[in-house]
Amino acid sequence: MESESQKEVTDYYKHLSLFWTDILHLMSSKPQALTSLGPMRAFASNSKKISTELIQINENLMEFNKYVTEYYKQLAETWNEAQKKVNLKAPDVPHDIEQIESFKRIWIDIFDNDFTELFDSEKFGVNYGKLVSKELELTKNWHNISNVILQAANLPSKEEIDEVYKEIHALKKRVTKLEIELKKKKPNNIEVTKNEK
Amino acid sequence: MKSESKFDPKIIEEMIKFSKHVMDAPKLVSAPDEISLEITPHDVVQEIDKTRLLHYKPLTDKQHKTPLLISYALINRYHILDIQPEKSWVRNLLMQGFDVYMLDWGSPTSMDKYLDFDDYVNGYLDSSVELIKDVSSVEKISLQGYCTGATIATAYAALHPESVKNYIATAPVIDGWRDTTVISNLAKHMDVDKMVETIGNMPPEFMYYCFSVLKPFEQGIEKYVNFFKNIENKKFVDNFLRVEKWLGDTPPIPGALFKQWIKDIYQDNLLIQNKMFVGGSHINLKKINMPIFTQVAVGDHLVSPECSMPLHYAVGSEDKTLKIYPTGHVGMIASSLSQNKVLPELGNWLAERS
Repeated sequence: MESESQKEVTDYYKHLSLFWTDILHLMSSKPQALTSLGPMRAFASNSKKISTELIQINENLMEFNKYVTEYYKQLAETWNEAQKKVNLKAPDVPHDIEQIESFKRIWIDIFDNDFTELFDSEKFGVNYGKLVSKELELTKNWHNISNVILQAANLPSKEEIDEVYKEIHALKKRVTKLEIELKKKKPNNIEVTKNEK
Repeated sequence: MKSESKFDPKIIEEMIKFSKHVMDAPKLVSAPDEISLEITPHDVVQEIDKTRLLHYKPLTDKQHKTPLLISYALINRYHILDIQPEKSWVRNLLMQGFDVYMLDWGSPTSMDKYLDFDDYVNGYLDSSVELIKDVSSVEKISLQGYCTGATIATAYAALHPESVKNYIATAPVIDGWRDTTVISNLAKHMDVDKMVETIGNMPPEFMYYCFSVLKPFEQGIEKYVNFFKNIENKKFVDNFLRVEKWLGDTPPIPGALFKQWIKDIYQDNLLIQNKMFVGGSHINLKKINMPIFTQVAVGDHLVSPECSMPLHYAVGSEDKTLKIYPTGHVGMIASSLSQNKVLPELGNWLAERS
């Protein structure tokens, strides 16, 4: 129920923000058109994307905090369990160098085993996957905000640069294939030239 | 009072000694960045995009006829195979009379995010093999793949068996579902599509995270305590810093390649099931019909033996050898064990077939 009401509040503010940015944009679009070549016009027409992204960031941050809390909870629980095992195995305070060394060995072995077990578990893998996924969504929000600023400055967006990279990659592949085909055909060409002579 | 009387004063002595070592460390030891790796002399015989093909200068008068090309892993740099003269994999092979080449994958940038398995297998690796064949006037070469470099080399050996005379797979990443390491668990739960779409290449920082969760206390605490304890042992410190420098130098992995690697190897496990495709060509491990030598380390916490060994049973080769060594992932290639056991055994096997 709590999350539903939270969603309603977020949706309300999203709508409110979109409504006012749209209305203000429509109301001010005529005077803005006078400066249509400068950055302000492009920025103003895309500025609602920034407010939408900021609201989205807020939502993603809440989710991210949920997974990061779970992440540290898992680490803390494992630490406590491992420490209990160490206390059971080495209850006495070490008094000399040899005892310190063996205590350290026990401590490291138990902690390494318990933490490896945690990192290898389904619950850690699932939560960690979701945590990384939320981080990526936050990165995407940041990309989208940056794109608005880039567009205002008449610079290519990330997607446009990616298209160029993709095109270069495809062209390189084609050139390599052509080079290989040319190399294969070369001996035949020489023979043809010889026969012609 | 009773417990105070049991307290060994040597503990205080040791603590003072350790603190002194920490204080003296900057005076006694170079920073990792200041260390120059004594790399075995070589020529760069081919450069394509960011990759370089290295040809090592011979160290013997006579050499075996068949050259050897090493396909290094995609994580960290090839330097680990030439970390220092007395532990160098490359140097040892040169001393055994082999003609050694190494493919350095270089450091991909954002521009290289669309490079995929096809580019690595049928592009960079194939171009290197073709050049070596031309230079050495041979029809086939010997190929060695290490770690993820062995995944690429395995795909190559299956697609181009006519160019590979002998194949050496060292800790190869093959069967993702059998892999018991932490890396495999993280990979299985990764939204790799979203990752590559959003950030492009796999950043080194993420790789560091993945490594830091492997034996976190042994590697994160104990190793550095030992470093300061042994700060006056020049040999120990030198070796430690070289390995640390290598560990800290990992290039990004091209996005498209990383995506296919995680999906096809760890998530869907296509390679071992003979269901993987590279550049539209089907990879059938039964087509690997040349002599094959698989090297596996029992204590490998990066690529578990269970992940590597299935290759030995899946290939079509009749002449096949599987060797299991009592060491770890790096120990197999850069240690006294590798110099005294792993490399001599590999050398004997390869010499008979070169």
